[in-house]
Amino acid sequence: MRSPILRTVSISSATSTFAPRLPRACIVAKWLQSRGYQDGPSPYARGHNIPLRKHLKEQAKAEKAGSKRKKAEEKAAAKHPPRAAAETERWELTVGIEIHAELNTACKLFSSAPAAAADSHALPNTNVAPFDAALPGTQPQFQVATLLPALRAAIALDCDVQRTSGWDRKHYFHWDQPNGYQITQYYQPFAKDGRLRLRAEDGVPKEDLNGAEEIEIGIKQIQMEQDTAKTTNHPPSTYHVDLNRAGHPLIEIITLPQIHSPQAAAAVVRKIQGVLKSVDACVTGMELGGLRADVNVSVQKQGATGSSQYSGVTGLGQRTEIKNLSSFVAIENAIVAERDRQISVLKAGGVIEGETRGWTLGATETTRLRGKEGEVDYRYMPDADLPPLRIGSDLVAHLKETLPELPDQTVERVQKVYGLSAKDAKTIASLDDGDRLEYLEETVQLLSARVGPGSDFRATKLGKTVGNWILHELGGLITTSESTWQDCRVSETELADLIANVLQRHITSRTAKQLLATLHNHPPDSDRPSVEQLVEDGNLRLRPLSEEGYVQLAEEIIAENQDLVKAGKGGWKKSKTMWFVGQMMRRGEEGTVEPEKAREVVESVLGVGEEDGKEK
Amino acid sequence: MVFLNNASRNTHLRPYSSSNTNAIINAAAEPPPPTQSHPNGSLAGKSIAIKDNILTTATPTTAASRALHNYPSPFPATVITLLQQHGAYISSKTNLDEFGMGSHTQSSFHGPAISPFSRNGVPLTPGGSSGGSAVAVAEGKAWAALGTDTGGSVRLPAAYCGVVGFKPSYGCVSRWGVVAYANSMDTVGVLARTVGDARKVFGVLDVYDERDPTSLLPSVRQRIRSKRSSTAGRGKKMRIGVPTSYLTTSISPAVRAAYASTLTRLQAAGHTLIPIGLPTSKLALSTYYILAPAEASSNLAKYDGIRYGYRTSGPDARPKEDPPLPFYAATRGEAFGDEVRRRILLGAYTLSSEAMHNYFIQAQKIRRLVSRDFDAVFALPHPLHEDTAQRPAPLPSDENKEDGKGKVDIILTPTTPTLPPTLSEIAQQSALEHYMNDVFTVPASLACLPALSVPVPLPAEVREGMEEGDVSTVGVQVIGQLGDDEGVLGAGEVVEGLW
Repeated sequence: MRSPILRTVSISSATSTFAPRLPRACIVAKWLQSRGYQDGPSPYARGHNIPLRKHLKEQAKAEKAGSKRKKAEEKAAAKHPPRAAAETERWELTVGIEIHAELNTACKLFSSAPAAAADSHALPNTNVAPFDAALPGTQPQFQVATLLPALRAAIALDCDVQRTSGWDRKHYFHWDQPNGYQITQYYQPFAKDGRLRLRAEDGVPKEDLNGAEEIEIGIKQIQMEQDTAKTTNHPPSTYHVDLNRAGHPLIEIITLPQIHSPQAAAAVVRKIQGVLKSVDACVTGMELGGLRADVNVSVQKQGATGSSQYSGVTGLGQRTEIKNLSSFVAIENAIVAERDRQISVLKAGGVIEGETRGWTLGATETTRLRGKEGEVDYRYMPDADLPPLRIGSDLVAHLKETLPELPDQTVERVQKVYGLSAKDAKTIASLDDGDRLEYLEETVQLLSARVGPGSDFRATKLGKTVGNWILHELGGLITTSESTWQDCRVSETELADLIANVLQRHITSRTAKQLLATLHNHPPDSDRPSVEQLVEDGNLRLRPLSEEGYVQLAEEIIAENQDLVKAGKGGWKKSKTMWFVGQMMRRGEEGTVEPEKAREVVESVLGVGEEDGKEK
Repeated sequence: MVFLNNASRNTHLRPYSSSNTNAIINAAAEPPPPTQSHPNGSLAGKSIAIKDNILTTATPTTAASRALHNYPSPFPATVITLLQQHGAYISSKTNLDEFGMGSHTQSSFHGPAISPFSRNGVPLTPGGSSGGSAVAVAEGKAWAALGTDTGGSVRLPAAYCGVVGFKPSYGCVSRWGVVAYANSMDTVGVLARTVGDARKVFGVLDVYDERDPTSLLPSVRQRIRSKRSSTAGRGKKMRIGVPTSYLTTSISPAVRAAYASTLTRLQAAGHTLIPIGLPTSKLALSTYYILAPAEASSNLAKYDGIRYGYRTSGPDARPKEDPPLPFYAATRGEAFGDEVRRRILLGAYTLSSEAMHNYFIQAQKIRRLVSRDFDAVFALPHPLHEDTAQRPAPLPSDENKEDGKGKVDIILTPTTPTLPPTLSEIAQQSALEHYMNDVFTVPASLACLPALSVPVPLPAEVREGMEEGDVSTVGVQVIGQLGDDEGVLGAGEVVEGLW
């Protein structure tokens, strides 16, 4: 199949191969400004990528501003009773979210041109087939392979995959939309009626859970559609259009308006992002512009029944839509701002208009983009070029069987197999794109080979130990050295060796921790000594004192600290035992005193029991 | 031929025609191939004129619109490649109504085309929108020509210019490289002097093309071949459906006489005439003029002046106006002619959320009924209906009581209700009156059926009262079941052979 790739398609480029154009200043920027639009993103379309670096900067700035504000608010709240909070409590917030996610596919939705990821560095207008540039005489060719990641997403979100779905044209004029319409699935989406379950660990506030272990948010539908081109502004008034992204497959996931707090909304998007990544439906998340969200926000007095409805949910207050949110912070803050705006309007006796609003990072208020009267009539019509999409149940069944593990299933498995707590399992599974979990699994495998299958260490015990070392010891080192997981040079083998030595009582865990730090800080280019070598060289091997030695050491220290012993006699505290243990370890030669043994001896010499404050 | 000598001049977009019919807007679209290339091709050495909404790489393709003024396509249409592979020579690009929207080839950016025929010294309309292709064939400037037919744009000019015009079943011929007007009905058709010539060209084009998503799949083509009508065609006695409802429409006496004499001769030749009811057909024209503009408004949205084509001069946007206008409005306002603008506006309206249900949706329903009417009378089953054993239930209509259900091989109608009017007559007509020319051609377009216009002589008594330069033929239209293109061509040859 031929797929002519066009070199350049640019608004003001003179190098276009098929339609020479002289550079000409565009003053559409002014037009956009005059209508209250920011430059760049299409006012009608969704989705526009803010460059990552800029985005992160803005986010950091916003967070800083946010924390400042928060502090100021806290101060103010300390002086005055939190009236705003009290008001919020009497209003019920309802949020529905539309998430646009870039599918992980090799080619575009309707052409064989390569689908570059959002962070791709491909030259502008190089991944463009004739259809992507909307050349006359071209027709879309549905690329079947793009369906697979979309289906995986739909299955992972527990949707009913529709046997027949269709393609519709959504019309609006904008230069990021070459055909003058976007092909989407308006009348018949390919997936419907899914659900997403969230728990406290997912970031859902207690009030939302309302005593339950989890909440369920309905997914109304998922549809496939085309992404838009990318526009870059070259001030003062020149715009360049890059069609590389035009026609990239997206899925739009629409939740039911069943979300009732800003935090839960952010949690929903975060969870959906995790699910999409886990089933390889998407490669890049929000942080790289691979995911964008629009939120529908409405409020009403608690217990009231409004007359508005959407997505089949009735009795809601009038909603507004906030478009194009590209970070979790933005989602949460935009909803807070819009909720507060709506409440204050209603309190003042005003009426909420059904309108589209925008939000920029760091802003305290959403801004009106267009009202109902300015609403674009998209003139949806079925695309007569494209036959209906028919999806066989055998394909769905096959994908279901081969679906990669979902985040919730991973957490459950990590808890069960490796004995981690729910919180630790969730943390380790979600950190570093699953790298830490892989590290854990590899280390546990090496460790259980080291300590021997016949040992009395259960897998859960090994797993829990390894989990602690990875999250807390290694994690601590990474934090204090201000590096990232990717920079971590301690190999799975090294960690397994260290832990094996501890478990087999060859070294103390204090020694192991020191060695871990040594390995972590070891210069990258020099030869790495093995754990055994480090133990040997440092003469760190545990040479346990004899029973008499322990008793002698303990008695020595107790004799020196009689005041303490006496003062404590009335109500013995465990902490005192541990103080003596610490003294023993410090005084004993390195690698000779084990804390457990020392404690045993201290207790027996002092005649105190295991339980706190009880005489033997 | 004179114009071949001028090929080397490559006069871009300058009307060129020996008789000044303005049929040809770009002579010598392709250089003549060396005689030895494809010497055995079925179209070896044949000159074929191409309607200028079909993309060629050797010359610009304009669709007769300022929007595509001098547009150079980076790729050729599939039909162009196929013709060349079979030895044909693309001799010229021909004039048309802008984007194929019109019935008289008067709404062209290159100026109107005229018929070689005249009445009282006034030229007649060549018909449209493939008027340039019809005139090129009628004048012998090309052995055959390609046109496009969305609602009758090949059949109507063929009938008005006295040539054969064939609109294949939708999906037989690739639309890749054909500038879209109403993509659910757009077809590439053939204009030729005989049905046999049209069949030769169609035979080359009738192949699956994966680049056209509505191209009939090889499996469907195979199914069609296996069930092809064995009754239609030369030497076979046909059962010919005569739609009685069509005859009540105001048909001019000349056309009525020619049509009647055709029916008489067919009956005399042993074919059976069967009166049929096509009750929904009377709604077809209004249905077509809702659906086609709706699709046009969508398909023409891409002409925004950003990537190619015409862009307004001066400032790109007018931000100070109230409401402020982006440059699209100026670009598109200047790029499109009256008829295109009318249809875009019509289409934008019928698709708007307030009008959608009353217009677009209703029209889609009627389109289905029109299809069902046809399906009910043909003996051949519809190859795309999954269960071919199940015929659609008859509609509760009086006309439906007529005999002829499931018994007809082909349907015969006039192609147009009247003889071609003069240019001065059409200049006084409203847009609605122009649309009336399509009343007999749009039903087959809505139903995606193959349809052929064959010229039949005017009866001597009618012709006697007319001038020397006036037309001497009338087009009659053969319609067949979807996929039965061969049956339609065969029937056309039968009609052709009656005189």
